[in-house]
Amino acid sequence: MKAKYKWLILCALLSANGCSSLGVKPWERETLAREDMLMEADALDLAFDEHIYFSKEASSGGQGFAGGGCGCN
Amino acid sequence: MKKLLLLLLLVVSPINAEIYNIDQLDLKNHQGKVVYLDFWASWCKPCQRSFPWMNSLLKKYPGEAFTILTINLDAESEAMHQFLAKVKADFDIYHDPSGQIAEQFKIEGMPTSYLIDASGKVVKKHIGFYTKQVDKYEREIEELL
Amino acid sequence: MQLSKKKVAGLLSAATCTLLGSPVQSADNDWDVDSAILFYAEDNDRIEVVEPVISATKDLGDDESLSMKLVLDSLTGASATGAVPSTIVQTFTRPSGNGTYTVDPNETPLDDTFKDTRVAFSMNWEKPVDRNNRRNLGFNVSNEYDFTSISVNALWQHDTNQKNTTYSYGINIELDDIDPVGGVPEPLTDMLAQDKGDSSDTKNIVDLLFGVTQVIDKSSLFQVNLSLSEADGYLTDPYKFVSVVDSVTGEPIRQLFENRPDSRSRQSLYGEYKKMFSNKDIFTASYRFMTDDWGIDSNTFDFTYRFRLKEGYFIEPHLRWYQQSEADFYRYFQVDGEPVPAEATADYRLGEMDATTVGVKFGKQINDQHIWSVRLEQYVQSGDSSPSEAFGQLAQQDLYPDVEATMVQFNYSFKW
Repeated sequence: MKAKYKWLILCALLSANGCSSLGVKPWERETLAREDMLMEADALDLAFDEHIYFSKEASSGGQGFAGGGCGCN
Repeated sequence: MKKLLLLLLLVVSPINAEIYNIDQLDLKNHQGKVVYLDFWASWCKPCQRSFPWMNSLLKKYPGEAFTILTINLDAESEAMHQFLAKVKADFDIYHDPSGQIAEQFKIEGMPTSYLIDASGKVVKKHIGFYTKQVDKYEREIEELL
Repeated sequence: MQLSKKKVAGLLSAATCTLLGSPVQSADNDWDVDSAILFYAEDNDRIEVVEPVISATKDLGDDESLSMKLVLDSLTGASATGAVPSTIVQTFTRPSGNGTYTVDPNETPLDDTFKDTRVAFSMNWEKPVDRNNRRNLGFNVSNEYDFTSISVNALWQHDTNQKNTTYSYGINIELDDIDPVGGVPEPLTDMLAQDKGDSSDTKNIVDLLFGVTQVIDKSSLFQVNLSLSEADGYLTDPYKFVSVVDSVTGEPIRQLFENRPDSRSRQSLYGEYKKMFSNKDIFTASYRFMTDDWGIDSNTFDFTYRFRLKEGYFIEPHLRWYQQSEADFYRYFQVDGEPVPAEATADYRLGEMDATTVGVKFGKQINDQHIWSVRLEQYVQSGDSSPSEAFGQLAQQDLYPDVEATMVQFNYSFKW
């Protein structure tokens, strides 16, 4: 299980790293700049869910950060 | 109905701002003046913050020696017009929806501004707009005037 | 498209304001406020929660911001203790040691002592270091009658590839004080002996987080996060029991306070994908895999699809599916005469189960910062009610009753 899991991470990180072909020009971010397209959109919902699931299940956290957005400045 | 309203907004709103197509931009027409060339878009919050300051520059520096030209990179002109209805712009705007000029200038971030001297040479480039650096931006312009 | 008189008047007044030379403020110094209230209720007289939350973010200029959040959590109702049902009436001692409660035959023992209010406050400060680097510092305090927690966190974000790729590095350190009603029970001792040691105990948790956010194209992006968590100290639930059952009849003959290891090491891998379609609908999908040294592995799948309706309204169905394996030291019961292990729990939250959440959110996006919404969710959790190890009267009992809960939540976000 541990070995398989390490491989998964490596894959994910490598794929993100070799991702310089992905992306947009700095002036093409109008959709990504929207509040509802931010990775942390609906933060209060996430917080409520986290609180409920934490008290009902064995897993918690390990979820998202801020990301995406307008990329300005 | 929508188009009528937008037309109404255009007439009623930003006064001195003229909106042109990007093909109409020719920097040679402005040689002899110091030019502040700014690339912006409606969805860019720092761009929004820079507008009141850019408007103030036009009042501060003589029109024969200094001018502001901006290039809007909104893919949809409706977004640009809705923005201009809320935020005053006293300077000319050239609309570049396909981003071809941004591509030519190799714009790295939003907003980007270029300071061009009277002979047409690019003297300074700024990526991003920071209200705390406004004094520095103004000194750079004054050095050229 | 019909334009209401109110709308036109509003637009004209904005235009007039502009003409008069007073530019409409871009409102940089206002607060972005998110307020919400959650109502949560489980079936069968179990837990009920009312939780109002208010969160506000102030723009401090040049991409620097300060945000604060206050949470009030009022909890009532009964919770399963881990004890098994019996064919006869059972009596349990309350955690305080004063008083008892009884449980009817063939009913899952629930302790309804818990009526509690929790208050939590957190603050975060984000500031750019330069064009491509940001740091975020924060702290959290939370207090309820038997538990106090304080934590600090730090996050560093670094952009590359013209901000198409963002690396996030975070750390969270938490210190908790557990002050159980009646004191900390000695592990695996008889409930009736009320053998309580210290009045309180502590635990600490350190989390390390590493993430990559990648823009795919103009309308989609994804994020992959790795997180590592180490918890040390008092990790046991002082109110939960493991029933010792008769080796022939399966009837519970005594209750032991549970005991968990004093450390827990967890790792999780999380991925999320978000995409906006040309009609402005948004699809979000995420998956989390978690594993720890207690033997628990879990998988969480979450999907939402926001349908864009006219005039800013939206409707968003939500589906979540969760599955976990049981902890190594989880057991439904302890058989009398067999050696009691060093660690044992019958807390259903560490058992093997799966849970499904189905929900829908409906709301209106008045503009980018002005939104209201209503969310309704139904949660069903189920495990193995008749495990193979059940014998005697236990074979007829539901040893892992379903937990069903309904959540109703109201949200209102605005600029102030």
